[in-house]
Amino acid sequence: MTQKKLEMKNITKTFHQDKILSELTFHLEKGEIMSIVGPSGSGKTTLLRILAGLEKPSDGKIIMNGKDITKQKANRRSISLVFQQPLLFPHMTVKENIVYGAKVSKKYKEEKVDSLLEAIGMVRFQNHYPSEISGGQQQRVALARAMATEPEVILFDEPFSSLDPSLRQDLRYWVRDFLSSRETTAVFVTHDMEEAMIMGDQIAVFEDGNFQQIGTAETLHKSPANLRVASFLGGHLILNDHEFAPLHDVQVGTKKTVEDGVNFQATVEHITYQHGRPIAHLYVIDLKKKVSLPFDGTFPSREVQVTIPTDSIRTFSGETL
Amino acid sequence: MKLFKNKTFLLFLPAGAFLIIPFYGFLYAVIQSLGGEGFTHYHEILNSERFLSSVWFSIRTAGIATILSIILGLGFTKWFYPLLTHTSHRVMVWIPMLFPHFVWGYMIILLLSETGWMAQAFTAAGWLEDRSNFPVWTRDPQGIGIIITYVWKEVPLVILLLFPVYASIRPEYYALVDSLGGNAWHRFTTVDLPNLLPVLVESFLIIFSFTLAAYEVPALIGTTFPEMISVLGYEWFYGSSWDDRPLAFAAMVLTSLFLLILTLVGYFILSRPRWRAMRGNRP
Amino acid sequence: MIRKKAWFLILTLLLFVIPLTALLLQSLSAPWRFHTGQGLDWGWQGYAILFENPQLWEATFISIGIGFAVLFMNVTIGLFTGKALVSYAYRGKAWLEALLLSPILIPSLAIAMGLHLFMIRIGLADTIWGVMLIHLVPTVPYSIKIFHNSYQQMGKAMMEQPHILGAGFWTQVFTVELPLLRPAIRSLTFLTIVISLSQYALTAIIGGGRVLTLPLVFFPFLDNANTSIMAAFSIWFALIPLSMYIIIEVLMMFLPYSRLPWRNHR
Repeated sequence: MTQKKLEMKNITKTFHQDKILSELTFHLEKGEIMSIVGPSGSGKTTLLRILAGLEKPSDGKIIMNGKDITKQKANRRSISLVFQQPLLFPHMTVKENIVYGAKVSKKYKEEKVDSLLEAIGMVRFQNHYPSEISGGQQQRVALARAMATEPEVILFDEPFSSLDPSLRQDLRYWVRDFLSSRETTAVFVTHDMEEAMIMGDQIAVFEDGNFQQIGTAETLHKSPANLRVASFLGGHLILNDHEFAPLHDVQVGTKKTVEDGVNFQATVEHITYQHGRPIAHLYVIDLKKKVSLPFDGTFPSREVQVTIPTDSIRTFSGETL
Repeated sequence: MKLFKNKTFLLFLPAGAFLIIPFYGFLYAVIQSLGGEGFTHYHEILNSERFLSSVWFSIRTAGIATILSIILGLGFTKWFYPLLTHTSHRVMVWIPMLFPHFVWGYMIILLLSETGWMAQAFTAAGWLEDRSNFPVWTRDPQGIGIIITYVWKEVPLVILLLFPVYASIRPEYYALVDSLGGNAWHRFTTVDLPNLLPVLVESFLIIFSFTLAAYEVPALIGTTFPEMISVLGYEWFYGSSWDDRPLAFAAMVLTSLFLLILTLVGYFILSRPRWRAMRGNRP
Repeated sequence: MIRKKAWFLILTLLLFVIPLTALLLQSLSAPWRFHTGQGLDWGWQGYAILFENPQLWEATFISIGIGFAVLFMNVTIGLFTGKALVSYAYRGKAWLEALLLSPILIPSLAIAMGLHLFMIRIGLADTIWGVMLIHLVPTVPYSIKIFHNSYQQMGKAMMEQPHILGAGFWTQVFTVELPLLRPAIRSLTFLTIVISLSQYALTAIIGGGRVLTLPLVFFPFLDNANTSIMAAFSIWFALIPLSMYIIIEVLMMFLPYSRLPWRNHR
């Protein structure tokens, strides 16, 4: 199981003197699903396109099953990419789209296509044209088409972002189960942390052309490597460049509550509701930072005190290493 | 990126091979116009009354035909483009495009000559005393027949070129101009024009260069004096004496140079940053 | 809207439909003499006399042959160049496009005259091959434009998709691109054939009068044929692109994944 499926070594990509990727190194094991999460425009898509073979890296190596595939063209790589848009061929039916994937990669078996149609629940629509089915159905067909090529690695570039939220949620779990039931190795790119946590065994936080941290959702939350990771997660109150406190240890009140702790002035900006609980959106004046945290009860005034017990203050894990 | 560049380069090869034909032809025309005697032939035609009046007549006729075609085509598309989304409507408008130019020119002769259908019908209806009272609109010294033929034939082409542009303009932009208090003129200049301008300039260049230098229509429906530059050039090329051939080359080369300069000016206007920016993300 | 539609119909009928109908009627009746109070005198004489001319048939076949060859070369050059232009993302693209359009901005008469001696030297003058080559000059720039637009509409991503799935260059062209380019091929068919049929001067210069195409028969006909025959000849000119369009449409049914009546029942 611990066989390295896909490795990237020191991948660098420059475009007009801008470094989009700088010396990226990571590997995927067989059957592993990794989420890459990062702000929009951070170069995640470029990373996927390089993996897929649509773009050439300026420097570095891509290794699959121990073989260097850096120079191999996209249609020769056993890597499939599902784009943001389904990009189904409009002149082919649902079934023909899937058969197409199987045939051009010379992996056509009729039973396989039928079982894929079954798996995506599109048997009834197999003779429909893409324009006749919904966006979610189209994206499922696009996935089946990619799977029909029997790729060793499948890449996803924000595949749900063009769907409406309720559909997105269903499809996330569906894809996740689909991939794990087939033990498919996958890379999943998104800008949504929640989606990254649902989809990936491992989460890689990508910013400024490099991975800031790779780990499970738990590791990331318990010990974020640096300020960037923590601010992207949004589950911590960042005190300075080196220290932070988990939000659930933060106490809010009208007065200072804990003797042994750090105290800040804050104002309540707004109250919203999420998962049935009220969320207070606070502006911590001293830190010039906004935080959102669930709370019970009500605030008598706009001015509140934020208290952090001293023993809750941690140092970023990247610093201690 | 290098590999990709190479592949793109290969795809350009057929077009590159094709471009050899016109460029070699043009280069050879230039060489033969000089004929090893420097600019003597150019001197000769530039001092020839026949050539100069032909140049003026050609530019005037082609210019009027082109501008009329573009104005009428633009107006037609602007007013009727919602109706043009129906295929049957488009097919009707594009009927003239089914015929070669000179066939349409012949149709104009049938319709508008002094012995044509219109003259016959008006005489039969008693509006004209005699067919000879019908105005001379074909084979006339003013080039009216040429202009009518070209306008009738090119308006559908202008519609064909402009229709996709109008179909791609999002109606929200008109609403936006309205909400900001703009009138119809503002709508046209701020929404339509930036989208249309590249196509309009290109249409002008295509139609003007065609009408200026095409041989068939003026040969059919024009007169012998004044004559279009193409007719003169063709006559010199196939004339009684071979001595006139270099003159034909000189005349056609001068016409080409004039059109090339016009094209450069057109592209220079279009590549100004202001228009590039307004064209937005349409590469 | 209703008034607009009425205006539209009046204008198109008056300017486009009625002239065509009149031409059709004239081709099916004796030359009109309304001013003498005569009515229509129906008959097929116009067509009968036209078709008796052996030159007409020869010219028709040669014109169609040239038309198909020119169309084929146009599709090939247009397809490659359109594709290349969409993939090309460097500076100077506007100038490259201008360069590719320039052959229709230089007078084709100048080009044909310039090539005449060269064609004689390489043995292409007075041959059908030379005429085909010169007919490329006024057509190819349009084809490149049409295909460029179509590829742009298709989008770069749609072209990457088959590549990712593992399709090779030609597989991709035949299974995805050509089927999606069908509307472009239709416009191209009309445009190319009509332009090719419009060339009198180019064909006369390069073909030396020995390659007999329809315009070369039409022009001398003008002086000695009556209006019925000429009207029939004019209609004949329009029937050629129409019938070639039908042939192309049938050929396109053989492209992979065409929607055919006997396919895809559900």
